[in-house]
Amino acid sequence: MERTLDIQPLAADPITLHINGSPVNAAPGETVLSVLNAVGLRQLARNDHGQVSGAFCGMGVCHCCLVAIDGRAKRRACQTVVRPGMRVETLVNPICSEVPA
Amino acid sequence: MSMRPVIVGGGSAGMAAAIELANEGVGSVLIDEASRPGGVVFRGPLRGGVDVGYLGARYSKALGKLHADFATCARHIDLRLNSRVVGADNQSLMMLDEQEQLQPVGYEQLVLAAGCHERNVPFPGWTLPGVMLLGGLQLQIKSNVVKPLGRTLIAGTGPLLPLVACQLHAAGAKVTGVFEACAFSRIARETLALMNKPQLFLDGLSMLGYLKLHGIPMHYGWGVVAARGEGELSEVSVAPYDQAWQADLKRVQRESVQTLAVGYGFIPRTQLSQQLGLAHGYSADGYLRAECNAWQQSNVPHIHLAGDMAGIRGGEAAMLTGRIAAVSILHQRGVLNAEQAIERRERYLGQLAGIGRFRSGVERYTARGPAQVELPQADTVICRCEQVTREAIDLALQQGVQDMAGLKMRTRVSMGDCQGRMCVGYCSDRLRAATGRADVGWLRPRFPVDPVPFSAFKHLGTEA
Repeated sequence: MERTLDIQPLAADPITLHINGSPVNAAPGETVLSVLNAVGLRQLARNDHGQVSGAFCGMGVCHCCLVAIDGRAKRRACQTVVRPGMRVETLVNPICSEVPA
Repeated sequence: MSMRPVIVGGGSAGMAAAIELANEGVGSVLIDEASRPGGVVFRGPLRGGVDVGYLGARYSKALGKLHADFATCARHIDLRLNSRVVGADNQSLMMLDEQEQLQPVGYEQLVLAAGCHERNVPFPGWTLPGVMLLGGLQLQIKSNVVKPLGRTLIAGTGPLLPLVACQLHAAGAKVTGVFEACAFSRIARETLALMNKPQLFLDGLSMLGYLKLHGIPMHYGWGVVAARGEGELSEVSVAPYDQAWQADLKRVQRESVQTLAVGYGFIPRTQLSQQLGLAHGYSADGYLRAECNAWQQSNVPHIHLAGDMAGIRGGEAAMLTGRIAAVSILHQRGVLNAEQAIERRERYLGQLAGIGRFRSGVERYTARGPAQVELPQADTVICRCEQVTREAIDLALQQGVQDMAGLKMRTRVSMGDCQGRMCVGYCSDRLRAATGRADVGWLRPRFPVDPVPFSAFKHLGTEA
């Protein structure tokens, strides 16, 4: 996946993580949300009612950017710092497993 | 040995409190949920090698200074990052630590500096991906160093609107327009009050000049009406707002944008002060805030409030109230005598007075119009976590629900993941309007104030 929305380029030595199976570069210290933002992915979470949401408050309060990280559901993308090899899945909900349209 | 003071929240207020204590050689424990201190105002970029010039020269300087001051005090400050305080009593806190384990943290004195979150104003389409709160979008450019997708429209009220518009433009994002809900004449009327902070006033004028220079229109007396899109945002409707913020639906204009940032104010994060049973009151804007005296002490003197938890006044005031809370603690611990403490407090209070007059001016011109609650349609979701629509709230009010607890039981508003933080403003506005009462209650936060995994309890209470 291509990062197209960075305000300034990433410094050298990026790490790699996987978003829905695709590898993407990330900088140490940044959040999972900033990687999702940078690749332009905005439909992030599926709540228990099947409704899709994107990042909203950006500060850990609204729970609208919940993604699965390394197999654990309902992790706040905006509050989680990236780690090498991290696997991020969007639009997953263990209660409401409807396939995204 | 006496326990160290504990500070909850490492933003402007919490950092200033820790610095003031450290300058007298008093160590503290500073707890913040983020991976870097600074709070939403001063967290700075989370990745390295970023030139923050696009955020403005004065901001970059202030950011650098705060973190440099903090670094010189580092040996006195036990900084616990990536940690959330999810419960409290009058002797200890319950903290979800970096390893996601719960652990108690005892304190002798406490500073609560949890800040605020944004007030969410529902309208048709507000839940579409691409619609964000204004501060959330600002965080995206400040800390995440990422532009929003496509063209951005900004709607709301207050000085944050032109600031974020300038920062977005400087970051290389396309801003189609800024829609300030209040009429220009209402801002002009506050000129004298705003001049209490001449530098901020000048900054405001230069931001307006910048927007004009770069062809970004600033519309006064206009506000958001609706958002549309298939899957994601693609169009925003705006309309003139009258004095009461009633939208004139005959003059709706549609703007083709991919990102909408909405900022109609802030609400203090009072979950912990409420759980501690401290005294609270309501602001003119209708939000709940913790009460404190001139020492920033709550009604329980060893528990202090600093920053926006005690009422929204912004980052600069937060630093001063953080320092005053620290002075009170230094006095309580016998480090300063009464005379020294009062002298220092008066100095900070003097600086706070100018900010107070400036803020009063801002509050008068940004005062929300009561008619904005009419934006949602019957099927517009108000509580996103529990999918509660306006229709359900209307029905509950017709049936005589009188307060927040009743509305919650009747409709399930506030019972989801966000625990009502995103719908409390709307629900409170509607309840106050329907009942004519100033106090309709507020959300009652229980332990844990944020969701915690069951595994967090694994080691709790097993050390003994």
